[in-house]
Amino acid sequence: MLKIITESPSPLKGTKRKRVSKKNKAAWRKHTDVKDVEEFLEVQRQEERIGTFQDKPDSELFMIDTQAEVTTQLTPKQKRVLRAKTAPLRSLAILENDSKVQDPITKRNHVKNLKSGRNIEQEIINPKTQKHIDANKDRKRYNERLDKIVKKKRNSLAKTFGVDLWKDTDLKDKYPDLKNKWISEEMAYYTLKNGLNETGVIKVHDSIRHKTIKSKGFDAPHPGTSYNPDPKDHNALLNKVVVKEEGIIKTAKHLKRITTEMFSKVTTFDRDSNILSEMGEQVGKEEPSEEEKQETKEVDNDLPYTSVNAPVVNKKKDKKARKNEKDQKLLAQELKKKKDAKKQLTDLHRLKHLNADVNKAGQEMIELRKHRKKEAFKKKFETKRLGKLKYQEPDIDVNMKEDIAGNMRNIKTESNLLVDRFKNLQKRNIIPTSVDVGVRKRRKIKRFTRNTHKEPEKSIYNKKKK
Amino acid sequence: MRRPKKYESGEAAQYITRKQALKKLQLSLHDFRRLCIIKGVYPREPKHRRRAQKGASDIKILYHAKDIRFLLHEPIVWTLRDYKIFGKKTGRDRAIKDFRNLKRRLDMMPEIKMDHVVKERYPTFIDAIKDLDDCLTLMFLFSTFPSLRLIPREQSALCRRLTIEFLHYVIASKSLRKVFISIKGYYFQAEIKGQKVTWIIPHYYPFKPTTKAEVDFKVMSIFVEFYTIMMGFTNFRLYHSLNLAYPPQFPGSITDDEDTFTDESSFVSERISCLNFDLLKTDKTVLENDDDLEIDYDLLEQDGDSKKVLRMKQEAQETKKLKNLFKGLKFFINREVPREPLVIIIRSFGGRVSWDKNSYPGGTFEESDESITHHIVDRPSMEKQHISRDYIQPQWVFDCVNQKTLLPIAKYLMGAELPPHLSPFVDHKRETYVPPEEKALRDPSLIETHEQSEEESAEEEEEEEKLNDQQLEKAFQAERDQMDDGEDEEEDDENMEEDDDEGLDENEKKRKNEKKNMAVEAGKVHKVNKRAIKKDEIEEHRLKARMVKPRHRNLFRKLIREKQEKDKELWLMTKKRKNVEADAKLKKKAAKKAKKQAAV
Repeated sequence: MLKIITESPSPLKGTKRKRVSKKNKAAWRKHTDVKDVEEFLEVQRQEERIGTFQDKPDSELFMIDTQAEVTTQLTPKQKRVLRAKTAPLRSLAILENDSKVQDPITKRNHVKNLKSGRNIEQEIINPKTQKHIDANKDRKRYNERLDKIVKKKRNSLAKTFGVDLWKDTDLKDKYPDLKNKWISEEMAYYTLKNGLNETGVIKVHDSIRHKTIKSKGFDAPHPGTSYNPDPKDHNALLNKVVVKEEGIIKTAKHLKRITTEMFSKVTTFDRDSNILSEMGEQVGKEEPSEEEKQETKEVDNDLPYTSVNAPVVNKKKDKKARKNEKDQKLLAQELKKKKDAKKQLTDLHRLKHLNADVNKAGQEMIELRKHRKKEAFKKKFETKRLGKLKYQEPDIDVNMKEDIAGNMRNIKTESNLLVDRFKNLQKRNIIPTSVDVGVRKRRKIKRFTRNTHKEPEKSIYNKKKK
Repeated sequence: MRRPKKYESGEAAQYITRKQALKKLQLSLHDFRRLCIIKGVYPREPKHRRRAQKGASDIKILYHAKDIRFLLHEPIVWTLRDYKIFGKKTGRDRAIKDFRNLKRRLDMMPEIKMDHVVKERYPTFIDAIKDLDDCLTLMFLFSTFPSLRLIPREQSALCRRLTIEFLHYVIASKSLRKVFISIKGYYFQAEIKGQKVTWIIPHYYPFKPTTKAEVDFKVMSIFVEFYTIMMGFTNFRLYHSLNLAYPPQFPGSITDDEDTFTDESSFVSERISCLNFDLLKTDKTVLENDDDLEIDYDLLEQDGDSKKVLRMKQEAQETKKLKNLFKGLKFFINREVPREPLVIIIRSFGGRVSWDKNSYPGGTFEESDESITHHIVDRPSMEKQHISRDYIQPQWVFDCVNQKTLLPIAKYLMGAELPPHLSPFVDHKRETYVPPEEKALRDPSLIETHEQSEEESAEEEEEEEKLNDQQLEKAFQAERDQMDDGEDEEEDDENMEEDDDEGLDENEKKRKNEKKNMAVEAGKVHKVNKRAIKKDEIEEHRLKARMVKPRHRNLFRKLIREKQEKDKELWLMTKKRKNVEADAKLKKKAAKKAKKQAAV
């Protein structure tokens, strides 16, 4: 017993025990060397599986080279095609049994794996029943008809515009049944509209054609935009451009003033040194001494104590105070009455001035009304706000003085007509002003990896060791 | 009774946001946009946005609820939904590589039918013509485009075809009125069925790509899609109004001397696109119905506003004259000159035109033809020049149309510095001061009088060389007129008389007329009492002022003030001019005297 307790270290490495107990199965397994047996068996199994050299005929092992080898380089596509023809699917290859091991059960019941249902594809390709033959014929006819339609459509003169759209036509012409003396006009149209699914009779409401802007679709060109303009006209146009440009510069200046120039600029070095100095404000200074602290306390003691957030006290008024208050109120009222009466009297003398005041107010009102009317009228001609963005006038197209050649050969074109038309449509409230948003931003999604797919984190200790 | 909830009626019920509309119509945004453009439904701005948006204050795109309800009835909506299914099916075919089905399916692609929409949007033909401005400009632009991602080649080809057809109509009906070369492009204005239609043809430069930020190509393409349909039907109607066959055909009599052309359709389309041949008429017996359309102004004059009628009569005469402005003239366009705009102008005013056959097919005569009267060039000099013709710059043609007369070519000769090209779209009948130079530009008849007066005083100032030049020119013109007449006799006997009239120069015509009226009788001097007239005028003015209603008083005063200011400016400027001219004259005289003295 004692021995057991004390004997804890295992035998030293390198030394072999001569004798080991092989009392149990486990111990037996542990201490018996069966390597050679296993190797032998491995070889045997392999031979069973794939066969031995002896079994294979010579023709399978060797090849008599009678012709010079012609190497043909196959393109990747050809290779793919070839492989697809010969080799089975890669996913199925693993299921194929290529073992040479014979079935240990000599008399096994082979179950034939019947295909579920019929092989319709095969049936259609090689039709045997009358039903399939008929079906094939039908299909063929259908395809031919479709092809004909397609051909007709391809050659159709759909876009030759061979009709006079604005000719007076009676919708009832299509349906001679409606031209009956027993059917009234209204009845006929009602039937056309509701019964026969005719689209031509849907009434267009008026408001759809209401113009939202009173400007012309075509603006007459400024005479200064001529390729060989009169100097006077050209100067007028240039002045227009200058005025517009000045406005732009002014707004840009204003924006700069109220944004970038509102903040002082500091170099990074200055900024860092400032931070350092600000943070180190207290560092150099000594702590106030005890005496000083006491002094400040003494000063505080002189003043009466006031709380920062004093408690609310519901202090009631006494009867006297209330009465006093009431009296004061009445007095004030009386005084006001008196004053008003007096004012009425004096106002009689001020009647002229009052009249003038009333008139003035009325006049102002009229002015305001006029102004509003004017604004509303002006708004009629302006572009409306249809979407988030406001319409902005495009730049004025102008040739600078040095660009004017004076002959058609050296004309310098200034504007892009497409942009011009696009802007014009926006101006006339036909399309809302928009900007290209580009590629839309996807919603940001927070992603996690599953625990099973997580890569093991490198431990901190390993790093430290390095 | 139930108490109505907030935003159930009134402005909130009147408007519908775009998102709601999409839901209601069950369409994607792209389809909805397309539908709206085709049907002419545009977003609206409400009076009170917050109320219309049911309390929301951010700016949404709003439509009239009525408009959207109207769209619900449209059969195009079903086609648009079919597109969605079509896309899914073709996508499937493509994925399983069933190309036979795919091809067939692509051929069977559902087509949007817009014919009824055209009729619905433009109930009368005049409405359609009124809206041609936008349509034409966009189509002329798109016809120059290469095939782009969002613009299929067929669309630009169709645009080209339709615009060419329209130009043929303009030429055949002689309805062009104003032309202008700007830095944007060529402005054209035609009068069709009494409506002024203006369009811009871009300059012939290579395609300039635009960024997505500038222009939404998709939207513009949809507009053009609709406009092509509208234009097609408009063309049909326009052609039939002139008894022309539509689609345009080419009379069989014209055959090229080349026998080798193989593709007949391409040959015909080339000839049609060159704009140089008259098209086939369905009814040849009907002559030009210009004369039938003319209104008897004398009859009109008898009743009502004679001043207005007089003006109308004058305008009608002017346009009649304008229509045959280039009649009897033969132009040759040199290689470097943009061909199409010039051909349109020359042909629609009755001229005949040709060009180098290597630059474009369809030229009718060679450069060496001696009967060519004007050769349009845009280069400083040419090596080989024919004596029998004038070498002019293209601007002459444009200016002639705008001034409605044949301008003297002296200022437009090859290599000459051109006078400014003025816009015909501004009103020149303004009441401000117009310097005599500008007046001369507007009205060439004034030049003549000016020159005559100079001739009269030529003894003093005019240089002799200039006179000689003028005489030479006149002689040359007379000779050319004779030649023109000779040709016309060969061609057409009926036209002769007209041509004779037309061929003569304007000035000579005027002179002839003056000669006719030159019978002199003993005249009596009619004394005009200027003071009395002025008195009468003032009286009249006072009466007028009294007649003005009190509510129009301010306007009247404003008008008077404006007129006074204008008169004052006019007076000031003429006075200034007089002074300047007098000074110049004095100086000139002094210089001459000094010269003479020096010579002596």
